[in-house]
This record gives sequence, structure tokens and C-alpha cells, in this order.
Amino acid sequence: MNYRDKIVLVTGASRGIGKELVKYFLANEATVLGLSKSDFSCDGKYFHYSCDISKGSNIHSTFRKIVKDHGRIDIVINNAAVLTSQYAMIMPIQNAEDMVNTNLLGTFFVSREAVKIMRKFKHGRIINIGSMAASLEPMGDSIYAATKAGVRTLANVMSREFSKLNITCNTLGVTAIETDMLNQLPREKIDEIIEALPVPRYANIDDITNVIDFFASDKSSYITSQTVYLGGIN
Amino acid sequence: MKVGEIVKNVVQEVVDTLPESDRFIVDNKTILFGNGSEIDSMTLVSVIVDLEEILADQYDKEMCLTDDRAMTREISPFDTIQTLVDYIEELSKQI
Repeated sequence: MNYRDKIVLVTGASRGIGKELVKYFLANEATVLGLSKSDFSCDGKYFHYSCDISKGSNIHSTFRKIVKDHGRIDIVINNAAVLTSQYAMIMPIQNAEDMVNTNLLGTFFVSREAVKIMRKFKHGRIINIGSMAASLEPMGDSIYAATKAGVRTLANVMSREFSKLNITCNTLGVTAIETDMLNQLPREKIDEIIEALPVPRYANIDDITNVIDFFASDKSSYITSQTVYLGGIN
Repeated sequence: MKVGEIVKNVVQEVVDTLPESDRFIVDNKTILFGNGSEIDSMTLVSVIVDLEEILADQYDKEMCLTDDRAMTREISPFDTIQTLVDYIEELSKQI
């Protein structure tokens, strides 16, 4: 899909799925605004904003700058997330809090700040990157799965609040994809989960962008509050 | 610009985006919330977001109009244009 004249904001832009999405949108002529804690640069129409997604006040001030710099956002990809997979009884407190603050509250604050801009144009697309963990509920992922289930619920509730503004909110539940986040997990455990899927293979970036293209396009104007899982997960 | 004018202008601008049959002329007695309100809750949300943006520029400081101070008052700041103006003026003195 061509994104010429579209401004796309991607959180967690400096690595993993976010970095791949930045490259995809740039290759398809979008202007891309990337948010992440670490510095990152890219050739083309890429504008990086250093922002700690786990802090609401940091997100608010970043969007104040974005509105002054660009004045508009068409599409938001809420991708930023952190993951610690650990049994509940031995999960470090800080890691649990980081997951809630980044994955759940970060998605909430980014969405609402973006909508404050989108509402003036009566058009917008919010696309949350969810996870198979929210559906499969694997051991060790109690907090991570809960935050990703929460991301889906955020989209569903926000879709009601924003529908009159012609802003849709949908979630893409991704399966495992080769990223640095995956390296934090025991590979045998992931292989076992993937082998049990109706489509037993790892996801690739095309699987993700195919769904994002639909959610981002005008063809999905009547589609909101929906979650699409990859790999045959319900 | 005075707070009263800012609030009236913002509400009028939002009201002017409504379908023609729902539009009206805003004045100090316009009811914003509760019984007799002439705007729905999402329209009031738009008004609040616009006001917070304008007031942040005006005072060079973020002003939250919906925190506990506002929501726990016996008389809601969102009853009418006038109560909202009074509340913002009160907040502005604390900046």
C-alpha cells in the first residue's frame, strides 16, 4: 500500500517489529514519526522523538512538540512493549511494573494524545500491536499477557469514544517473529507453542504489514474494535 | 484575551461543528453538563481538550480541568459557561 501524504507514528521504533515497520512505511513513501527511548535515525522522511513510553508526562510533552512540528498524524502504530517472562512468584517487581507502564499505559497515553490531534481532521487510524500471549495465556507471561489483553480492550473502548470522529481502533495479535525480544525467551518453549498453532510457523514482517495495510486503509472505515490474530489463533 | 471570551469562543466553535439543527448561540448561562445540557458528553470532552491546549499556551503551564479538585466540588465547574470561567480564573491565580 502506498502511504504518500500520510504521517505515520510508530512507537518502539528503534528495534524489533517497530524498526521493520519504520522501514516498511518509509519504503512506501510515508512520513514516519518514530518514538523510542533510545536514539535512532533512518534515511528518508523519518523524524525521531526520544520518548520514554512508560511515562505519561513524557508522552504528553513529546506530542506537544509533534503537533508543532507536523500538525497532523494519520496513523498510529502502538508497538512499544517490554517483556519479562517469569513465573509469577519470582517476577521482579520492577519488571512487572515496567510491563504495565509501557505496554498498557503507554498505549493509552499515546492513543489519546494522537486522537487530540486526529479529531481536528475527523480521520485517523489507531492500530495496536497485540500478542498471541493474550489468547494462549502461557505460563510465565501473566503480566505480559494481561497487558496485551488490556491493549485489545483499550482499542475496543476507545473505538466507541472515537467513532464519531471517524477514528478507528483495531488490534493485531502477532505470533512469534524473529526479533531481539524473542531472544529473551527459551526457544524450545516458543517452538512448542508455534508447532501447536493451526498455521505452525513463525510470523514474518509481511504477515504483519498485510493486516496493518488493511486497518490503515480507507477500505476498513467500517471496521473498528476488532482484533485479528495471525497464525489461526482465536 | 479574557478567560470568559476564551471559554465562550471555544464552546461556540465546537457547537458550530454540530449538525445545523443542534447549533445555538453560547452565552454565560449555557448549561454544559447535567440536566438541561445542550451538548453531549463527548462534545464537552472536545471543549475541555481545546481549553486545556489554549490555556497551556496562555499560561505557559499545563492546566488540568478534570482532576480531583474539579470533580469533587459541590457545584461542578462544568455546570455552565460561567462556573467554568470562575473555576479557570481560580486555577490561574494558583499558577
